[in-house]
Amino acid sequence: MERASTKGVLGHLSLLETQMRSCRGKHQQLNRTEQLKAKVEALCVQKEQLKVELHTLQRLQKVRSTLDGNGADDEMDDDSENADILQLMAKCARLKDLLHAHHLIGGYDVVKTRQDKGLCITLTTAYEGIYLDTYHLEMDLSPKLRISRHDIPPFIPLNSLVETTTQTALRPFLDFLSQHLNAFTGRKQQLKLVKEQHKSVEVMESNVLCSVLVLLVRVPERKLPVLCILDYTDHSRSLPTGVKFECDDEPPNFEQWKKSCRILLERPVHKALITMKSLGCIV
Amino acid sequence: MNDPGKCLLKRVIRRIPANMLKTTLSHWGRVSDAQLQSVDFTTSKWALTEKLLNICEENELTVKHVTELEMIHVIDYPNLGMWYAFQLFDPDDAAPSVDMTQFKEQFKFHLSKLMRNVSVKIKKHTDEAIWIRVAWGDGFSRPNHMKPTYVVHHLQSSYVFVTRLTSKLKPLLSQALVLSTRYQGIKDANLSGRNLAALRNLLMRQYQQVFSTKFSTPLAEKSENISNPQIEREQAESATKRHQMACEAFGDGVLPQLQSAVYKLETKFRDHNNKTMTDREEPFKCIVKFTSTNLLESLRHCASSGIASTPVTPLLSSVPVKGRNYFVITDNVPGSSSQTNRPQK
Repeated sequence: MERASTKGVLGHLSLLETQMRSCRGKHQQLNRTEQLKAKVEALCVQKEQLKVELHTLQRLQKVRSTLDGNGADDEMDDDSENADILQLMAKCARLKDLLHAHHLIGGYDVVKTRQDKGLCITLTTAYEGIYLDTYHLEMDLSPKLRISRHDIPPFIPLNSLVETTTQTALRPFLDFLSQHLNAFTGRKQQLKLVKEQHKSVEVMESNVLCSVLVLLVRVPERKLPVLCILDYTDHSRSLPTGVKFECDDEPPNFEQWKKSCRILLERPVHKALITMKSLGCIV
Repeated sequence: MNDPGKCLLKRVIRRIPANMLKTTLSHWGRVSDAQLQSVDFTTSKWALTEKLLNICEENELTVKHVTELEMIHVIDYPNLGMWYAFQLFDPDDAAPSVDMTQFKEQFKFHLSKLMRNVSVKIKKHTDEAIWIRVAWGDGFSRPNHMKPTYVVHHLQSSYVFVTRLTSKLKPLLSQALVLSTRYQGIKDANLSGRNLAALRNLLMRQYQQVFSTKFSTPLAEKSENISNPQIEREQAESATKRHQMACEAFGDGVLPQLQSAVYKLETKFRDHNNKTMTDREEPFKCIVKFTSTNLLESLRHCASSGIASTPVTPLLSSVPVKGRNYFVITDNVPGSSSQTNRPQK
């Protein structure tokens, strides 16, 4: 009897403990949703503000055009209104500056370094919503814009990218470079996922740039090995530009392989392999 | 097995550490499991060598098979000699699509065209590196397997690492490499060291570089004994700044292990108190060499502890930034093609 009661107490305690845990979990979840809700609200407020700003700008433009049209004589008429307009004009100039800055660096993380003599640009890469490697460029501003230091791997043709974009156009260069880096990390990630998710597929060959991928797949009939060669000639994309199959015997089902080719050209390789498996092209 | 084969086997067995011998041999795959079981690995290296020689005779292995064993050992222990980095430049349009099979065929083809008696073995390592072993002969003699050259290359990376290459044979290897990788030329990258991985990491930028960014996390500081809190507080800020600058110049964490940096100065002597030397027309030649077990970490420590001034002089920071450890420094005279940095005071 006694024993049963102690067991009961301990059991009760552990029950309470689990209850508390689940409660805390729920609490955290609630907290998170609350945070997100707050963020949504903040963003809504910001949206409203921007709307108002836009509206004022439009009004200002209208006022200014009428002011220009009316000429100089009624300039002194209403001091308070003029002051308002001047303030709005100053605001407008500020916004224009911001817009200009955005045209120059376009949303990239840029930090001034070495007492404003240099810039450090951070380029982040992501694939399928997962942040991957981050790369940096350090640039000198004077006497002319040039890259002084960076951690971009040497097989990314940085120099030829610099040559193709002119001195003044920093943003197209950054866009182009970012596209290259994202494509590269995307291909690298795909290769990693293939190795992780597809144990039956053997990676025969790849290179540092992940621009060539040779896979050994097996067809269900007689476990015939087939080499699948993916060629990523366009280095600014993470999808292949060419797919080839090589097989000692004739591939048993020509139509099916043509379809596989299309799948591999259209989808990231790790997903394409899943589709091919489900269609019964490979084991 | 002929005599060169025996000699090579003896040497390879001698070099492989005793505790690694069994794994390396099984990795080699030329000796059956039963034969491996029959070998007593606790006996002396000499007795082991005799036993293995017998087994090789039994299996009718030739010198070619022994070179495979040597390759496996060198790939496992690459840091036995000096490695020199070379850089390929001006890639053809076909360069990005060269694959392993093409490269292998082309390299063997071109090298055998250039030199009649040459033995080439190419192996792809798990990390996508291509390892090449070249044993050179000449017009009349057979390849000398005792003095092979080793070459490591990652396809599409433009860098090549070479060890044990004589200057006489350099043009031949260079030409074969250029033709088979579809580049226009190859040049000395002015980087050398005993640690292959370090050279590779430095050039491929696979070490932790530090940049000042918006989201920079404060660098981990070393916990040093605080002797006087007041002094510490006074100096903390400048120390942090120095540390940040040192890390920006050389990197954070474990740095690639370089053994030396050499500066060959060919600059005019400048000293107002020493007229005789300053007035001389020809440049004052000297060589400055820094050596350390890990040069980059030493330099970083010098800068962060205040022994070397910060910001770090470009002469020192050029080692990681440019990925080289041999510099020729000349005066910036207009007209002459000066090689590298302007000298600093």
